[in-house]
Amino acid sequence: MTAIADAPATAARRGTHRSAKGKRRGKSPLLTVIMLVMFVYAVLPLFWLLANASKSGADLFSTFGLWFGGDFSLFANIGDTLSYQNGIFLRWFGNTVLYSVVGAGGAALLATIGGYALAKYDFPGRKLLFALVLGAISIPGTALAVPTYLLFSQIGIVDTPWAVLIPSLCSPFGLYLMRVYAADAVPDSILESARIDGAGEFRIFRTIALRLLAPGFVTVLLFSLVATWNNYFLPLIVLNTPDWFPLTVGLNQWNAQANSGTSGAGDATYTLILTGSLLSIVPLIIAFLVLQRFWQSGLATGSVKQ
Amino acid sequence: MRNLPSRRGVMTAGVAAALSLALAACGGGSGGGATTAPAAAPSATAAVQDALSKPAELTFWTWVTGIEKTVARFQAKYPNIKVNVVNAGQSADQYTKLQTAIKAGSGAPDVAQIEYFALPQFALSKQVVNLAEHGAAELKDKFAPAAWGQVAINGGVYGIPQDTGPMAMFYRKDIFEKLKIEPPKTWAEFIEAAKKIKADNPDNFITSIDPGDAGGVDSLIWQAGGTPFKTSGENQVSVTLATDPGVKQFVSTWGSLLSEKLVDPQPGWTDEWWKGMGSGKYAVWMTGAWAPNGIINSIPKTKGDWAVAPMPQHDAAKPINAENGGSSVAVIPQSKNIPAAVAFAQWLNSDPEAVKSLNEEAGLFPATKTLLEDPAFRDAPQEFFDGQKINQVLGDASTAVKADWQYLPFQVYANSIFKDTVGQAIDGGGDLAGALKTWQDRITAFGTEQGFTLSAG
Amino acid sequence: MTAPATRAGLARPFLRLRVAGYAFFLPFFLVFLITVVAPLAYAIYLSFFQERMIGGTVFAGLGNYTRAIGDALFGAGLVRVALFLVAQVPIMLLIALLCALAIDSGRLRWPSLFRITIFMPYAVPAVVAALMWGYMYGDQFGLVGQIGDALGVTLPDLMSRSWMLGSIGNMVTWEYVGYNMIILYAALRAIPEELYEAAEMDGAGAVRIAWSIKLPALRPALLVATLFSVIGSFQLFNEPNILQKLAPSVITTSYTPNMYAYNLAFNGQQINYSAAVAVVLGLVTVVVAYVVQIITARREKTL
Repeated sequence: MTAIADAPATAARRGTHRSAKGKRRGKSPLLTVIMLVMFVYAVLPLFWLLANASKSGADLFSTFGLWFGGDFSLFANIGDTLSYQNGIFLRWFGNTVLYSVVGAGGAALLATIGGYALAKYDFPGRKLLFALVLGAISIPGTALAVPTYLLFSQIGIVDTPWAVLIPSLCSPFGLYLMRVYAADAVPDSILESARIDGAGEFRIFRTIALRLLAPGFVTVLLFSLVATWNNYFLPLIVLNTPDWFPLTVGLNQWNAQANSGTSGAGDATYTLILTGSLLSIVPLIIAFLVLQRFWQSGLATGSVKQ
Repeated sequence: MRNLPSRRGVMTAGVAAALSLALAACGGGSGGGATTAPAAAPSATAAVQDALSKPAELTFWTWVTGIEKTVARFQAKYPNIKVNVVNAGQSADQYTKLQTAIKAGSGAPDVAQIEYFALPQFALSKQVVNLAEHGAAELKDKFAPAAWGQVAINGGVYGIPQDTGPMAMFYRKDIFEKLKIEPPKTWAEFIEAAKKIKADNPDNFITSIDPGDAGGVDSLIWQAGGTPFKTSGENQVSVTLATDPGVKQFVSTWGSLLSEKLVDPQPGWTDEWWKGMGSGKYAVWMTGAWAPNGIINSIPKTKGDWAVAPMPQHDAAKPINAENGGSSVAVIPQSKNIPAAVAFAQWLNSDPEAVKSLNEEAGLFPATKTLLEDPAFRDAPQEFFDGQKINQVLGDASTAVKADWQYLPFQVYANSIFKDTVGQAIDGGGDLAGALKTWQDRITAFGTEQGFTLSAG
Repeated sequence: MTAPATRAGLARPFLRLRVAGYAFFLPFFLVFLITVVAPLAYAIYLSFFQERMIGGTVFAGLGNYTRAIGDALFGAGLVRVALFLVAQVPIMLLIALLCALAIDSGRLRWPSLFRITIFMPYAVPAVVAALMWGYMYGDQFGLVGQIGDALGVTLPDLMSRSWMLGSIGNMVTWEYVGYNMIILYAALRAIPEELYEAAEMDGAGAVRIAWSIKLPALRPALLVATLFSVIGSFQLFNEPNILQKLAPSVITTSYTPNMYAYNLAFNGQQINYSAAVAVVLGLVTVVVAYVVQIITARREKTL
């Protein structure tokens, strides 16, 4: 924690340098225009979501898709979404926050420590373990769903939050990324001089390496956060009780309901799904904005070396 | 990873149709072959009655929205029994969970919603309780024969009918009036109407057909009098998609509709499809009696434009109807309190108060004769449908259902590969007969591999 | 590799480092064992049996595997994802690379705006992606249809057989460009400042710096991104599964190998055969990933 909190200070240097460099060279309008095209490509479908989440149920299938409907109903829709089925949306939202924060935080930490071990310690079997991880994730999880359920059922965690949390802690991708990242970001010379000073390995990790790994950690954290937030398949299999559902499974349930004749009278769930999805993206954007500060602040093998 | 392919309403919905009057006779043909349910031991029946007054806790898996209200009524009446309503997923999602939980030995509910098309699979593998052993056979006369036929399997009773979906033709009155078309009474008239609609505007169609929806085509074959799937005994299965006369009727009608591009091969329940439904691109939706909710909720601006008529017939002198969708409620053997589970399933689907609540509070089309014959139900004008008393049409549609239809004991799989086979021909405007034969071949291969004795034709 | 542990004085620090290495790796590995290896081992065990609705479970030996290898549906799916891999992955990674370089260059206006908006699609839940692309690709009431109407032409149906793989590729690119961009961007941020300073002193321009400093430094991160894109391509599931609802006759149950394994297990209750298909798919993926790694490593040596 402290290491992360310190990061902005170390990094400020690089930020300044960068902007100075930018000023010297000037901005490139051509580059900006090219990136604006990418911007439109990325945002257009999201704009569709915003426009349609702002429509009343009556307008949804009767007005032009890529613009707002006659009535601007976004706030009414948000109200409906939050109160539908006794406010279960908020419950799902809370579950998702729980799974994501605990799962992604744990996954990023385990991946950081593990990746650091692979990159900086030469222990026998290291390559084999690394290959095993790659091999294992090459088997698609869809086919493992039923075996996973049967195993979890034997240890008694089916239909509990643990069945979602424990698998979320495992991020092989994070491990790979952190290994690559640690190889460059933590210079061997620093580790050696710390050892000569008599520092223990855990202390070295905690006080030196973790700080250097902060931007990588943040990257993995962000990815794990989004992956856990959008995790659908696993919770779908291992959870039965809607009270434990994350948003993805809950929204899918509403969708299935909208697409079936049995949906109870008076439930126009399409608008709820769209609004719910819009609401579910917002926290991720906020997380992104908060976390990106740690890249800005730089990492910097260079600055530490001095 | 994502989305399980939850199929749409067709398979999921259900409503019940039961019919009423006419069948009161009922002696003969409840389909499905279960006319000879063994009488339950009196003690078992008594145990079910007793269970209502003893403390118990039950878990009930269902994806019907609003059913909590009906369950609440049960709890008010029988406060000793606590029922936890759980929506564990819809259709195939739920079945996979259910089967896995049964395999795992724990985690399964006491009572579960199972659609008619999936019930034989559970019944055959003994994953649901034979309710006839608990006296449920006595309920037979309360239900429409077509509904009862779907739960009476191989001499047992494996579920209590909850809702059914007798087919009807929902059509755009405004379009029909504008083009001076009468609602078609036969398929020949239907083709003529399709041509008129196409001639008026080549972008419009009389209706759409979903290349991914096996349930829809099953129903059209059923409605043509076909019975292409049959199971006898524990493991004898016959599939006659190539020779069944009803299938041939279906092929001749829909083959020409498709090859002349008079119907649109468009998947249902999508943005494109709903917009087509709302804009008048499609003039007709032939589907189960559960459809009104979907129309009212999704395209409210078409209020007053819709009307309901009986399905077009191949032979107007001998009208036949079919079901589309519908569910039963079954009891899982893992339950620690089977008598209470049976009692709950029976009350939920046959008690007059419950049945009324299922219809009014959960939006299900009724399955019991009592409600279908109830004038308050039949004669209520529906505002959205411009005051039409649609339940009269839908109730009669339910009376006309042919009760001898059977699903395969592995229909979930068979339906899933429909899009790989028949769906190809629907989309390609092509050879329906050949595609149905391909479907049959894959069904036969699967069945044989699963240990059934298959005969195909 | 590892030096064999020798005697006292020398061995001690070695031993300490090894123990520390294992200790640091252990937490990840434990979770990995429970959540990945155990179900996988169980699935492999199951793949040697056959469970039938009539007749129960029998030992099948390698039966499921020989069947999978000869399964035309599985083979067609493999070919399809291989095609997808060859076309989509390079395009996506190239765009991601260019975006990362542009954002890192310091010559772009509003870099953080671009960073977040390009990444945002990755955060869209699949349910909505289905509704969204159903609209985008719709040739009647959708965006494609409306653009066609406006221009007075009939645009191709992007969800027809011939266009589908491209449409899926577009969805995947849309979703993952930002994701890969961030991986590369994070790696760019790790480049030591001295390198830039030296290059600038030599008078190197932005393109030159990108080519001779940034690209080589990005190689390990690019390799990770490539490997995971390879795995992702072979496991392609979400996007076709989303679009299946919109084009059921084009996207069959065996459209990709992963969908095939899924449908076998979920609709057909053929858990055993499904496990065998998944294992074979995994082996193919490992081989391809290994080849990619070797090619990259060789190139690195020649540089």
